[in-house]
Amino acid sequence: MTLGAIILLPFFGGLVALFANLIWPRTDRWVALASLVLGMAALIFVTAQGVLTGSSAAGIEGEAGRWLALHRSDWAPALGVQILLAMDGLSGVLLFLSLGLGILTVILSWNETEKSALLMAALCWTVATSNGVFLAFDLLVFAFFWELMMVPAFLMIAIWGHGTREATAIKFLIFNTIAGLGLLAAVFYLGSTSEGPVTFDAFVIAARDIDPTVQVWVLAGFALAFMVKLPVPPFHAWLPDAHTQAPTVGSILLAGLLLKTGAYGLFRFPAMLFPDGFAVLAPYGLILGAFGTIYGALVACGQTDAKRLVAYTSVAHMSVVLMGICGGVHFSMMGAGIVMVAHAFSASALFLLIGAIYDRVGTRDIRQLGGLQRNAPRFAATFALFFSATLAMPGTANFLGEALVITGMFQVNWVYASITLISLVISVVYATRLFQRVVFGASRKAEVKQDLTWRELGPILVLGTGTLFFGLLPQGLMVALDPAVNAAVGAIQAVTK
Amino acid sequence: MTPADLTAADLTALAPLIVLGVAIVVSMLLAPKADAALVRYVAALGPFAAMGIAVMRLGTPSLPMPALLVDDGFARLGVALVAATGLACLIFLRPALPAREGPPLMVLATLGGAVLAMANHAATVFLGLEIITLSLLALTVLPRSNASLEAAYKLLILGAIGAAALLLGFALAYAETGDLSLRAWSGSGMLVRLGAALLLAGIAFKFSLVPFHMWTPDLFSGAPPAVAAFAGVASKVAVAVVLIRLAAAPMPEPVWSTGLAAIGVASILLGNIQALRQPSLVRMLGYSAVAHSGYVAVILASGAPLGAEAALFYLASYAPGLIAAFCVAAGMGGAPMLDDLRGLIWRSPIAGAALALALLSLAGLPASVGFLGKFYLFTALIEAEAWALLAAAAVGSALGLYFYMVFMVTLFRRDDTPRPTPQFQTADTILLLTASGMIAALGVNPNPLVNLVRLALP
Repeated sequence: MTLGAIILLPFFGGLVALFANLIWPRTDRWVALASLVLGMAALIFVTAQGVLTGSSAAGIEGEAGRWLALHRSDWAPALGVQILLAMDGLSGVLLFLSLGLGILTVILSWNETEKSALLMAALCWTVATSNGVFLAFDLLVFAFFWELMMVPAFLMIAIWGHGTREATAIKFLIFNTIAGLGLLAAVFYLGSTSEGPVTFDAFVIAARDIDPTVQVWVLAGFALAFMVKLPVPPFHAWLPDAHTQAPTVGSILLAGLLLKTGAYGLFRFPAMLFPDGFAVLAPYGLILGAFGTIYGALVACGQTDAKRLVAYTSVAHMSVVLMGICGGVHFSMMGAGIVMVAHAFSASALFLLIGAIYDRVGTRDIRQLGGLQRNAPRFAATFALFFSATLAMPGTANFLGEALVITGMFQVNWVYASITLISLVISVVYATRLFQRVVFGASRKAEVKQDLTWRELGPILVLGTGTLFFGLLPQGLMVALDPAVNAAVGAIQAVTK
Repeated sequence: MTPADLTAADLTALAPLIVLGVAIVVSMLLAPKADAALVRYVAALGPFAAMGIAVMRLGTPSLPMPALLVDDGFARLGVALVAATGLACLIFLRPALPAREGPPLMVLATLGGAVLAMANHAATVFLGLEIITLSLLALTVLPRSNASLEAAYKLLILGAIGAAALLLGFALAYAETGDLSLRAWSGSGMLVRLGAALLLAGIAFKFSLVPFHMWTPDLFSGAPPAVAAFAGVASKVAVAVVLIRLAAAPMPEPVWSTGLAAIGVASILLGNIQALRQPSLVRMLGYSAVAHSGYVAVILASGAPLGAEAALFYLASYAPGLIAAFCVAAGMGGAPMLDDLRGLIWRSPIAGAALALALLSLAGLPASVGFLGKFYLFTALIEAEAWALLAAAAVGSALGLYFYMVFMVTLFRRDDTPRPTPQFQTADTILLLTASGMIAALGVNPNPLVNLVRLALP
């Protein structure tokens, strides 16, 4: 039941935060923070328990030692739906990320005055629903959280966004929900064709012998939802707008969390449920990923809005994740897992820094910014760190991830490996351009006078530590991801060989 | 059957109709003299009691009835849903004048719905439909505005055409089979098939399916919101019960299923497309109601074994959303436009949140009961392997998202122009909270509603 608490604590925390100010003014942020910290405590407890007791918590056939915790109870027995939550290393890592980013965003919006209670609730609910996505193994519950996740993000963009926020929020919701229809139809299909009583249990469905042609179609439905969320071109049109118009905390959660749910879905379910379909569709995924990584990087080079630039780098990096997953070998999948984590740190931090600049000077146009290093050394130093992370400088987690993906790509096809390498070169171009324009030179029209405050610097330091720590000592992360990678690679190789 | 032949069993089975009838007569007698609030309370007792009786009798064995009516699970669930809707609509029924005939007429419409839900014969089907149409007609003109007159004329004329088609359909089938009960359609002669087509057209009028839907948006925008909500939920539930009974008849194929599927798909697509750019909340709901009728029609046309359950669940899950939306519309003067709704959630948090939740439910997003309605819709179509219908339903839900979300985002829009605060009475607020509570609670835990619907299945 502790697993359920990881979802429920932030959810009820958000609900209480919504009404907290009615009883005691300005308590909403404390409630939100407390619920997320408690959620984190529950997660640490579950992880510790799982690591110490090992596989005894599991009881799932075959994969002893993989599952750190498992929870199964009825939800709607009449419909064959149960609450089936399971956590392995991959889920655990992403849950830490989700709760951690949640805490960071609450701290960042500590002084927000406009509808702060609803903002706190939206932050908590984003974390709660993403946690649901990372834990649910009953596919209907997974789809439930998948769709629900869009609602708080929609509110964040629509209420606290910039510019054409309403239109952007609608675009975001429509892209993702329409893609979600593919997932829904596929999940409903799997449920209604159950052998025996209706079930959406992913482990039962994985054990079923689904016809390969059916697998391709059902997987296409799943993949549509995941690839729009990831996003990989040509499904990315919602992302630049959503990132640009969202408030800073919204961009952080979008880049750090929501994109990762797409990657998580691709990582977890295709290989587990539809290995035959995966074998058929993976080459197309590789092509899309290869196109996306070059396209995202090239378009990023042409941007003048710093936030939009970072948004396009997300497209490029998440396309690398797609390539890593579709490569289907141990190196590339491990690399994809590490890029997911690394990108969460580096993209969140860049959005935070650009948001901080925007708060000070009211523009994000890199033609007007400049000279950050003269007035704001802390700004410049942290910018340098994440600038090197985004171009995958050795020593950062991003480098490790991309290097592993490229290594894996050489095992698949040298063409893809070369394309990934080329995209690395382009990433140097856009990252240097951003860095040079914003940090060096004389300050142009918009001069940043005030350096980072401690409330901004704290989250930045946490993200920076993560980037460097996992870049220099990746062993812990790799051990955590290993069981999920092995399971996926094993399932894929079982059908291809 | 003389009064002496009435047994206790008959009285039990007929109890919902009897209590509704008594409530109508008593409230009508009170109406000219008594306090308007008293009339409303007395009238409300009818649907309340009918709902209670019908729910309590769910799951008990059906009692033998005369040929005109039937006492099965569908009838009871249908009566319960119709009465619940009637009760909810009574709460926010607001004629422009202090018209005291309003509440009795609303209960009369509920009686019509109950008769229709229990109908097993051409005569009762016709009677039920006409009671609903005529009482809704009288309720529609109560505000005596141009819009309401226009809506009433459209309902009157198109309704009459529908009724004529229905009667002719029954007559043609009667000419061939010599039977007027709903079992009469088992023949396969030319006349039966022609009759089935006409019957379908007649029912499509009442069910607001394309191309017989033109009255719906006008009624939704012209009539008092409570009347529109009744037309959108209760009469559809009753007609859906008739459709389920007809499907079991069985109807001459392929006329029936193909026809129903075709107008269903047309309704889904056209309803959603026409709703896309509606700036008026109620007209948008009108076109979306056409689309939702289309979803129910394709469920029933697919012939899925799950069909009856899915259709009833879908309508039950649709009801709280539509009722809440219309209750908000009633509080905002009847026909709020997009601009009037700007920032509603900041001005009037309860109404705004209820409307937001209602829109989420109508759009079928999770944590609302509408998501489970969508689940049933998709599952039924997949079960029947009706891929074309499934594709239409998917395209329809995708289109639907847009206009629901346009309204949703408007509710949250920051806006400094002063706008009138909507007027809600305590009863309205309670209704809004109940509807929102049902949407959220059943969205998270659908078991009670699923079990209720399953009790109605044979």
